[in-house]
Amino acid sequence: MRAAALAAEIRAGTRRAVDVVEERLADIAARNISFNAFTDVTADRARAEAAAVDVKVAAGQDPGLLAGVPVAVKNLFDLKGITTLAGAKIERDTPPASRDAFLVRQMQAQGAVMLGALNMDEYAYGFTTENEHFGPSHNPHDLTRMAGGSSGGSAAAVAGGLVAITLGSDTNGSIRVPASLCGIWGLKPTYGRLSRQGAFLFAASFDHLGPFARELMDLALSYNVLQGEDREDPAQRWVGKQLVRPEPEIGDLRIAVADDHFMRGGHAEGFAAVQAVARALGTTRRVTIPDAGMGRAAAFLITMAEGANLHLPNLRIRPDDFDFATRDRFLAGALLPAQWLQQAQRVRAAYRAKALRVFDDVDVIIAPATPYVAPEIGQNMIEVEGVNIPVRPNLGVYTQPISCIGLPVIAAPIADPVGLGTPGGMPIGVQLIGAPWAEDKLFRVAAMLEKLGVCASPAVRD
Amino acid sequence: MTEFDPEAYAKQAAAAVGLPLHPAHLPGIAMNLALAARMAALIEQVKLSPADEAAPIFVAGRAP
Repeated sequence: MRAAALAAEIRAGTRRAVDVVEERLADIAARNISFNAFTDVTADRARAEAAAVDVKVAAGQDPGLLAGVPVAVKNLFDLKGITTLAGAKIERDTPPASRDAFLVRQMQAQGAVMLGALNMDEYAYGFTTENEHFGPSHNPHDLTRMAGGSSGGSAAAVAGGLVAITLGSDTNGSIRVPASLCGIWGLKPTYGRLSRQGAFLFAASFDHLGPFARELMDLALSYNVLQGEDREDPAQRWVGKQLVRPEPEIGDLRIAVADDHFMRGGHAEGFAAVQAVARALGTTRRVTIPDAGMGRAAAFLITMAEGANLHLPNLRIRPDDFDFATRDRFLAGALLPAQWLQQAQRVRAAYRAKALRVFDDVDVIIAPATPYVAPEIGQNMIEVEGVNIPVRPNLGVYTQPISCIGLPVIAAPIADPVGLGTPGGMPIGVQLIGAPWAEDKLFRVAAMLEKLGVCASPAVRD
Repeated sequence: MTEFDPEAYAKQAAAAVGLPLHPAHLPGIAMNLALAARMAALIEQVKLSPADEAAPIFVAGRAP
């Protein structure tokens, strides 16, 4: 499902948005049970929005760049009239949202049709979307495997073809990890680029929002639409709109592969994906992001503390209503010594300064997105470099040091994971990492990789 | 130096922040605190100068 092409048809009047929405609702009704991607389907809203698009087209008015495009959002985004769950049973008691989140309004203003809210790890604290309350999301490429997380429903809905574009959040890797495991494109923009107003926060100093799509063109389209100044988000740093076009022009770009931390701690397929991309681009250069492991440790501690502080009132009175997978981490996070936190925040700043200097010589850095393909749902341990380690936290080993300092990243899916020799032919992606505010360069490299046939969303095999 | 005892620490720190602890949750909390302590030990190795400020910078208000 191509969003840009679909919007063009609807804008031209050759296809009706109301027909598209009925087709999507029927498909979701038939197939969501396989993926467990949706937690709420907003059928009435979707039908009304689609009808409004068709009315505009008939009246000769501009219905917007996303005219009639079916979209959905992680269930931590406010959707007017429904309760924002953030993956938590506790939030079922919360009144419905009184208005849409900022990014939802941005899409709606361009004619998008909102089909509902999507599954996630509780309060976004996880990389697997094995949610105790709402069940696990399933990877469309193999239903026995994890979709990744915490934006797992968002990735599964797009990879499975239920909708064209979804939104997720990324605090430590929660867009990039599921994008890699489900074989789709994902964008985690620069910290402060997109407004987070109306999104349930997790660890505010790391929280980013961004889109998923099966087509790079659609990722660019959604990124263009989502940008807008919003004085209600204290973390937004409005630097003006950066309209991107995925043009494969990279002649002037300096591209390198991340070594050190990013060349250990994973399985062969994670590194093979990076090599395939580097080979296609003719990149032999290597670069070290200094102290990435330290950055990850700092992010680990800050995340624990910020998340726990947010939920302390409920941890005090109803700890057993939390998902068992998040509860003990939140409880422990409420108890960290101040010294650990302050040291983490100072190390984070020092690490950022070192990492930013790398971009004096390089424009785009290639790194693995995940250390392995999607594990089986329920799998607890995995062998890495001869040692058996917990499978879940290690999924973020390559993403956490990057979001910790707010760098923009496109997660780019390998087009032919079977040819790459991944276990079970499962998808895997790479991170294309840029300097702050340089998303445009990432889109150019991604476009070249798409043109070369190295990166694309692999079809789900029957 | 006394070795860090995550369970004993958890009980005292929880009392300090008014967080009731259920005995059944204690092993999980202790495990996560031990992991956090390993992360903290890592970042204690980073040499910082007094000029190294923390990442979040307070802003009095948006520039007019």
